[in-house]
Amino acid sequence: MNKLKPKLFRINTGSCNGCDVEFLATALVDKFQFHKLEVEIAEEISQANLLVITGPLTARSEPFLKSYINKLSEPYVVVGIGTCSITSGIFRDSYAINGPTDKVIDVDINISGCPPRPQSIAEGIAKGVAILNQKVQNVNISKQMDTILQGFEAPKSFRGKINLHANLCTACRTCETVCPSGAINITKIGDKYEHKVWHNTCCFCGNCVFFCPTGAIYNTNDFDTAKHQDEKYSDTNISYIKTDNCSSCNKRYKKPTTGLLKKAYINDDINKLNNNLCPECRKKENFTRMYL
Amino acid sequence: MGKTIKIGPFHPELEESVYFKLVADKNSIVQEVEIVNGFIHRGMESLVTNRNFMQNLILTERVCSLCSNNHPFTFVMAVEKIANIKVPSRAEALRVVADEIKRAASNLFNLAMLSHLTHSYELMKDTLETREYLQDLKETIWGNRMDMSVNLFTGVKYDLDAKKVVHILEKLNLAIPKIKELQKRFENDEIIKQRCVGVGILPTEKALEIGVTGPVARGSGINNDVRVKAPYSLYALRPELQPRTKPRNGCDVLSRAMARFDDIIEAVRIIKDLLSDLPRGKTYLEKRPHIPEGEAVVRTEAPRGELIYYLKTDGSQKPIRMRWKVPTYTNWEALKVMILGDKVENVTIILNSIDPCISCTER
Amino acid sequence: MNTSKFIKILRETLGEQCSIKEDKDSYGNHSIWMKLKVKESINVVANSIKSFKGRCIVATAYKNRDGSHTIIYHFDINGTILNVEIKTNDNMFFSITPIIPSANWAEREIREMYGVEPIGHPNTDRLFLDYSIAKGVLNEFIPLSKLQRGVSKTDIMWKKVEEDINNG
Repeated sequence: MNKLKPKLFRINTGSCNGCDVEFLATALVDKFQFHKLEVEIAEEISQANLLVITGPLTARSEPFLKSYINKLSEPYVVVGIGTCSITSGIFRDSYAINGPTDKVIDVDINISGCPPRPQSIAEGIAKGVAILNQKVQNVNISKQMDTILQGFEAPKSFRGKINLHANLCTACRTCETVCPSGAINITKIGDKYEHKVWHNTCCFCGNCVFFCPTGAIYNTNDFDTAKHQDEKYSDTNISYIKTDNCSSCNKRYKKPTTGLLKKAYINDDINKLNNNLCPECRKKENFTRMYL
Repeated sequence: MGKTIKIGPFHPELEESVYFKLVADKNSIVQEVEIVNGFIHRGMESLVTNRNFMQNLILTERVCSLCSNNHPFTFVMAVEKIANIKVPSRAEALRVVADEIKRAASNLFNLAMLSHLTHSYELMKDTLETREYLQDLKETIWGNRMDMSVNLFTGVKYDLDAKKVVHILEKLNLAIPKIKELQKRFENDEIIKQRCVGVGILPTEKALEIGVTGPVARGSGINNDVRVKAPYSLYALRPELQPRTKPRNGCDVLSRAMARFDDIIEAVRIIKDLLSDLPRGKTYLEKRPHIPEGEAVVRTEAPRGELIYYLKTDGSQKPIRMRWKVPTYTNWEALKVMILGDKVENVTIILNSIDPCISCTER
Repeated sequence: MNTSKFIKILRETLGEQCSIKEDKDSYGNHSIWMKLKVKESINVVANSIKSFKGRCIVATAYKNRDGSHTIIYHFDINGTILNVEIKTNDNMFFSITPIIPSANWAEREIREMYGVEPIGHPNTDRLFLDYSIAKGVLNEFIPLSKLQRGVSKTDIMWKKVEEDINNG
């Protein structure tokens, strides 16, 4: 069988150095299994067939990146490390950013994370090597790939992919407001709210989790973020938040959670409140109850 | 005239992108040095004025991953100064714990890079393995190996219970003997000595003139540690926590490396002292502060030296101007002094010896 | 100690030309805020900073609504921060780098980010800003990327995510 010795060259296009530091840790610390991949670090890009790119692609890096990739010869594989490389992440919409990477070069594997765990980086490189071999053998590239490196675990407290308890969410948009990288988007579709988290632009900071008033949004410890480029726009977490009819005026509205009601009505027994009123009708009812 | 040598902008020995154009004579001694910057410039000073204060807690953290705790730390102190907020002392303590962990890990990474550049393979491996104790700690306690997401106006986002305190102490007790052993090995390793002693000289008077800070200053006989010179947070409230490091006088690459070891050992000491006597109380104030119109200048000691934030607000949800100066900003100019007259083969080692944080510098 | 002597000297030389305010943070650290009426006086301040073995930490600039620029130098004298503010209406100021070398980068950055020229600065090259980006980029009150495209990159990208959701 045709096999090519993977030779890796790393290019930093303006990263905050987190991904680069962690890439180095991945490559040099044994527990991350990188040595199993038998990847060699190339001195020059012209020798490389495994290009690793970090950073959001700054204006000054762009012409250099272009001239560097001209020196690559087929077949080669491109692996983007970190959220910045995939979508320019938190730095998007700055005057100095020309990225993301796939504007300049076709990417094969993306590893989301800010920075990704070395375990995810190693997995992403492993997938890159697998694709490189497929390219050498001229076979179809597999886009849905199983996990290659086994035995990695994350502590419970690891801030991984975001998920949502839809029943606790009130679509108040706090998460959307505090998210620094525009990874959360809430839209109203018919009678429901659609809550979307896009993992490939998320910087896994947990700001949404901390500021969420009802504890609806949370970090899982899922670090499976090394994905094929085909999944760039589809690696999302979608939840739907129901609305109800107001028992008084029949308008659609989003019910508050019991937790929120407890915060608002410190001196009342919330079980005795009519829980099926829209904000307008609740105002009226409270006024009647308290002053009339 | 001698030959021109180009290093970078993308090079396996450069963690971050920078472009050196050197002119060397026939003995490979650097005669001229030109450095092209701006590869990591992301326009962050413009970005922060387009984001609200809560988003900026994280955006400032992404200025640089190696000092990622110091940026939000200093930023929240500036906000707190403008809004006149007094932070609970438990929160101050937790900020310092996070900060010192980052300091130790960041310095260990730089030392690992030094041994990587001198091709001292075993030493590099062991330094990185030792750093893993701290990386694991950060991941288990704070949830990420680099960006800890600790700071908040009025306090911190995390708390330590008794179990976590024990966990931190256990890990640190495993790391301490390793760190001390590494320090001895760096000091006595023949290759390290050959490559680092008398290399990249920054004389004390030059250091003063350029205004270097942090371990670079401490390697040239100057101690302008902010934690001592203008103490803040718990370093002000509990002066016994202040680092007791003495500057080194070699003015070379090795002195700067040793100054980093001093910092690591003190960092661990500070954390242990603090954890044995953590102030009780709240970790943050429930009430979200209103941030009025105002301006403030605040500084802290980052792993690489002095970090200063200027913040101007107008009472809205976004800052109207924010500017920060990082240690590498001034340490960078010292590079020219260090590189000129030294050998071409030493350039990357000298660069590493200022522990450059280019992403911090270029923003 | 050191600084009170310093302030006294400046008051004597500059008189009405400067106003001085002192403040102290909750940890007891002093800082001094000084406003200069004419920008040329920065020379006098720089010379005294030099004689007190101070250094320039950095300088901040911002554009005011009337089109003028404010520049604030942040100096350090033995642990005390000294902020000195000047104003310029004509896109230029006088470089202090020949007196205090540590002001070098800060002044260059003001030049490229705001297009305000430090007269007498020894270096004319750009520092961080790529030549593909116009000088004075921070003068814009609306982010440039939005200005040029009408929509942000974030909006464009989210559209693709939406399409993907709709396609199941």
